[in-house]
Amino acid sequence: MFNDRTLAISKAMAEAREVDYQRIVEKFGNQAPAQARDPVTHSGLPIKTAYFPHDIEHIDYDTIGAPGQYPFTRGNLAAQYQLMNWANQPVIGYGLPEDTRARMDLLAEQGMVGYFGQRFYNLVYDLVSHEGLDPDHPAARGRIGQCGMAVYSKADMARLFNGMDLAKMNVVHITYYQVIPALAQYIAYAEDQGVGPGDLRGNSMNWYHQSAYVGMSAFPPDQGLKLAAELINFCSRNMPRWNTTNFFGYGVEEAGGSAIQEIGLMLAFGVELVRACEAMGLSADQALPRFGFQIAQANDFFEEVCKIRALRRIWATTMAEKFGAKDPRSMHVRIHTHTSGACLTAQQPLVNLIRTTLHAFGAALSGTQAMEVSAYDEALSIPTEEAATLALRVQQVIQEETNITAVSDPLAGSYYVEALTDQMCNAALEFVERIEKQGGYIAAQRSGWIRREIEGSAERWREMVNAGQRKVVGLNCYETDETPQENIFKVDDEVERVAVERLTALRKARDAGAHRKAMASFSKAASDFASSKIENLAGGGMLIDAAIAAARANATTGEMMGAMKDTLGWAAPHEY
Amino acid sequence: MADPVRVLLAKPTHDCHDRGVRYVAKKMRDAGFEVIFTNFLLPSEIVNTAVEEDVQVVGVSSSSGGHLPVFEDLIAGLRENGLDDVVLIGGGVIPRDDVETLKASGVAAIFGPGTTAEDAIALIRERVEDTAAGVG
Repeated sequence: MFNDRTLAISKAMAEAREVDYQRIVEKFGNQAPAQARDPVTHSGLPIKTAYFPHDIEHIDYDTIGAPGQYPFTRGNLAAQYQLMNWANQPVIGYGLPEDTRARMDLLAEQGMVGYFGQRFYNLVYDLVSHEGLDPDHPAARGRIGQCGMAVYSKADMARLFNGMDLAKMNVVHITYYQVIPALAQYIAYAEDQGVGPGDLRGNSMNWYHQSAYVGMSAFPPDQGLKLAAELINFCSRNMPRWNTTNFFGYGVEEAGGSAIQEIGLMLAFGVELVRACEAMGLSADQALPRFGFQIAQANDFFEEVCKIRALRRIWATTMAEKFGAKDPRSMHVRIHTHTSGACLTAQQPLVNLIRTTLHAFGAALSGTQAMEVSAYDEALSIPTEEAATLALRVQQVIQEETNITAVSDPLAGSYYVEALTDQMCNAALEFVERIEKQGGYIAAQRSGWIRREIEGSAERWREMVNAGQRKVVGLNCYETDETPQENIFKVDDEVERVAVERLTALRKARDAGAHRKAMASFSKAASDFASSKIENLAGGGMLIDAAIAAARANATTGEMMGAMKDTLGWAAPHEY
Repeated sequence: MADPVRVLLAKPTHDCHDRGVRYVAKKMRDAGFEVIFTNFLLPSEIVNTAVEEDVQVVGVSSSSGGHLPVFEDLIAGLRENGLDDVVLIGGGVIPRDDVETLKASGVAAIFGPGTTAEDAIALIRERVEDTAAGVG
């Protein structure tokens, strides 16, 4: 990338500087911290203490490119934030559907906005729904409306979206494995409002792959892969505006994985999923354009920026080279940033606002498409209104006041950023190769390899924090005697009683015959699906059609998930 | 040498936050304890496992709320099965007010943010090993 004269000067300057640097290090002798001699990123990649042109002379400019040009290292589109800011997508959901709606309206009033003024809502279901239960199940006690909204049926969808025009908004349904029942209930409710599935915009999570590293009970991995492909197949035919799949990199980071593991695992699963879609009769260009990513933004500022640039490059090159993807949208990595929750502390909670601001700033510099900024009180409780509003303000200050939105990929060309981006691409591709050699993502999950890798990384982090090698302000340095946080958010106890009462009323009021018939068909469809090979599901969408019919007949999440668990299997993830 | 201390660590299956408890399980194994790790849907499952595995310590990790009813049912279940002497501990994200409630109902300790696996190991040693040796 540089002419010989520049390279010669670069090397001479670097040598002179190195001599000077070593002199300083020697002078401080034993006082010099480890990072002065052997600096590494939080992923453990070796880095240098200063970078020069010759550090990136080996990189072909082709692999960096331009914003909007293959391999999209510098961004998916020619325009980054000049015409359209990233979307504010705070996660919302607690209590009854009406409580969640009130928080949605509050944040919308405070300026939460999607692309070109569109309304985006990023809605999370509660723990009862996540487990595939109804609120009258004994295990639901104490968990109804906790960490999410108590929405279990088409009737609850009506309470949540009452009076809103579904065709003019974008709704992300943050589920765990109740993906299909929740989507079916949303579609059935939309039909009642005269909106067809083809006009719906939003996102299903479709992320069964996270059972490789997240602790909740799950469907068996191979059934999960089939379920994911089934939804992609259905949406490619019936819901062209729906984003089908969320690659849950964030969960890797939260479980203790490194930045390399996060992007490596996502690419390894991407390869597995596209193969499954092909087996189901979809081409790469039919499946890929509606994939999205949820990526963490954590503490190592430059590594986290380079992680995103690296992911864009290796995803595009892999999808083009391995699967012959041609549509640029098939090669784009559309990112919903979630600033790291695991980096936040219960100690001195207001300090978390400083952390999340740095995370959000890094994500903005790397060109993310949408953002959730964690609230400063998340280590203590569900965010209060004040904390949720301040988290939104973090995004708004960066968007409106810093002028970083004027230039696309503003860190490009930094010797360090380009060198580290390239280094991360190589490390992640090597990680993917290790998984491919084991037979792919599902095989590496089944052997426990993925879980062991992530747990090993989590353990190394904890040991470093315990030993004071990794500093956490307020936890292992700069501690203070604190007074307890007064303003802790609590979900109203009434939520449980009302949710159970509503469920009982729904079961009484619905047409019992129609419900029984629809559930029998759904159970049959689930059973046929469970025993089918992926190649034989090419017709597509039978399970989802049956789920929508059940949702129309007011089937609940617990009822539908019950039928799926019975036929597909269900266990703690470390048992697979 | 005395038999190793037997510990059951349990986490609600609804709760995705298992990073902490799995680390604690590892550290307890390193410390020489026999550790059984399980996910549970209902507290009765923990009681059954505690009986079957003949454990001296039960630890519940909860980071998504709902811990009060779990401990309430668990304490009642252990009592019904004559396991009153089992040392009960908790961890995760448990608000300060609830910690007092839980301690009053018989939970030996709650290890929240800022505590270490070593803190939990020390408490178990004090309560179980010293008692067995006739010290406590």
